[in-house]
Amino acid sequence: MSCTALNVVTRDLTVLEEPPEGQSPAGAQGVDTALDAFGLTDSPTRAGTVVFLVTGDSPPSPHGGVEDVAVRTAESAVSALVLAHAELVDGTKDVALVLAGLGEPGPVRASRVTLSRVPREDDPASAGDTTRMLLWSGSGAGDETRTRARLRLVVDGMTDDVFRALPAVVPCRPCPGPVRAAALCNSVNPTAALDAAKAFTADRPRPVALLFPGQGSQHTKMASGLYRHEPVFTEAVDTVLDLMGAEGAAIRADWLAPHRPVIDMDDVRRAQPLLFAVDYALGKLIMSWGVRPTALLGHSAGELVAAAFAGVVSLPDAVTMMRERVRHALSVPAGGMLAVAASEAQLRPYLIAEVAVAAVNAELQTMLAGPAAQLSLVEKRLRADGHTVVTVPATSPFHSPAMAPAAEAVEREYTRIGFRSPDLALYSGYTGGLMSEQDALSPRFWARQITDTVYFRQALDQLLAAEDTLLVEAGPRQTLTAFARRHPAVRSGASAVVPALPARPRGPAADRRSLLGAVARLWTEGHDLNVASFSGPWADGEDRAAPSSPVAPGGR
Amino acid sequence: MSATTTVTLADLTRMLRESAGEEEGVDMDGDVLDVSFDDLGYDSLAMLQVIGQVQREYGIRLPDEAAADADTPRALLALINTNGHVPQTG
Repeated sequence: MSCTALNVVTRDLTVLEEPPEGQSPAGAQGVDTALDAFGLTDSPTRAGTVVFLVTGDSPPSPHGGVEDVAVRTAESAVSALVLAHAELVDGTKDVALVLAGLGEPGPVRASRVTLSRVPREDDPASAGDTTRMLLWSGSGAGDETRTRARLRLVVDGMTDDVFRALPAVVPCRPCPGPVRAAALCNSVNPTAALDAAKAFTADRPRPVALLFPGQGSQHTKMASGLYRHEPVFTEAVDTVLDLMGAEGAAIRADWLAPHRPVIDMDDVRRAQPLLFAVDYALGKLIMSWGVRPTALLGHSAGELVAAAFAGVVSLPDAVTMMRERVRHALSVPAGGMLAVAASEAQLRPYLIAEVAVAAVNAELQTMLAGPAAQLSLVEKRLRADGHTVVTVPATSPFHSPAMAPAAEAVEREYTRIGFRSPDLALYSGYTGGLMSEQDALSPRFWARQITDTVYFRQALDQLLAAEDTLLVEAGPRQTLTAFARRHPAVRSGASAVVPALPARPRGPAADRRSLLGAVARLWTEGHDLNVASFSGPWADGEDRAAPSSPVAPGGR
Repeated sequence: MSATTTVTLADLTRMLRESAGEEEGVDMDGDVLDVSFDDLGYDSLAMLQVIGQVQREYGIRLPDEAAADADTPRALLALINTNGHVPQTG
């Protein structure tokens, strides 16, 4: 059994001025430019091509065609995709070209649409996964309402097959206006989702800061719903795992294992490499949408991902640093971590021997770490005194003095790393503020991270005090999102936060829906997203979708 | 807890705020009755803390599993207001 997916390759083209009216049909110059750009030049190919001009007119107006190419009009990009799907499925045409922005100043957005058949039985969970994110906008409130009404007519008749064929994110208008809305739709009552969508006036988007979670946020199959479905994410995960050689392959196998992994996800040998890969790949993915973060903050191991994005270390060096942490952590006797609903000051009296404050996360959320036996004693005392305590899934006593031998060994390894100063605002949990050049360049600073306390709360304070920000958590679960939501700057609405993934494991389809929610949030914030980056198919079990089609001239 | 006392949304949001150590005066926006605790920023540790506080303040016992399943203020209030032998007000 197979199903269809629309492969969309989008490029912005510069079209020379149209010749004076009357000499050729409207848009002829643009159609020719687009056909040339996609190499659709010889006459059999042109005969198999249908062109859709997105005109914004409703109903579609007839078009005389251009030479031997069929040309039709469509009122919106999404209706053009629906019409294209119909013609490609019944086999009348092989290629559809959707042109938007013709006759307007600026580039013409040209999308080449082809059909691919993908097996459906590989992944039963994704076969039913036909939910797509529709994004639309208007120049004002009235325009947005009219756009929505037109869109309503299109989606009302869209069947499951059409939804399945659409790309994950469907931008419905070529030129985004300031009034924005988004709706997660599938064939079950799509108009209700459209009607319920809230419109936002987004004239001043807040800059984006990325948050990268660390140990404790891992879970079985975390983010695996994006792997082999989202091409940029897939490529980035593979890049990181490939840097780990044979071990990377074993990590991937355990991550995707249908039943029990050989090594459990909470083991430091799985948790940290996979968190690194997933955090990094989500960061790459968000940036591929055209988002340029202005600040970065990672929690614990997440700070290495932030360092890679800030240019402090190369990706291979960051992976090496993470692996050295893991390797030397294994030589430390087993320990653990606790999360306690109390302040750092309340917990100080409970600290014994090598049990230390591992992290200050939020006002009344503090983590402790230490060797197993000592930590269990502290846990008993805390519970006896009525404190609320949760055991963090960790096998090593990170951020406690028990890690000192590992920190020393790691520091020796880190002297070989080429550190550079950060090229964007990098906030550090170890100083609770902006990372200085001196710290960034110090092997000791990075090595001490495994014994020292993480002051996440203070670092977040500094980040949010610098500027009102839209925080995006690039990692599994919503650990850092929860801390941020309770921050006064976010509660008051001055800043905001959106997670990329679900709060708890809910399966692959939930991973994808959550990601689409992050896209929608960036859109309604007013960020101009790179439409071309969304146009890849939301592959149903397609093995390792290529980031760009090999036949696209030049690619993007 | 007396038979006439009903825990209200205002009581619950106060306890949530206190359990998480949030500042007074910075309140959650709009109608939060059906917003999930995840979306409100209350993670599992914060929820355990608030359930502990509810039990202490109102002298009631909430079954762990049912409390964990109550994922919105509406669901948690319904649980609290029935387990304290208070008739459900709907």
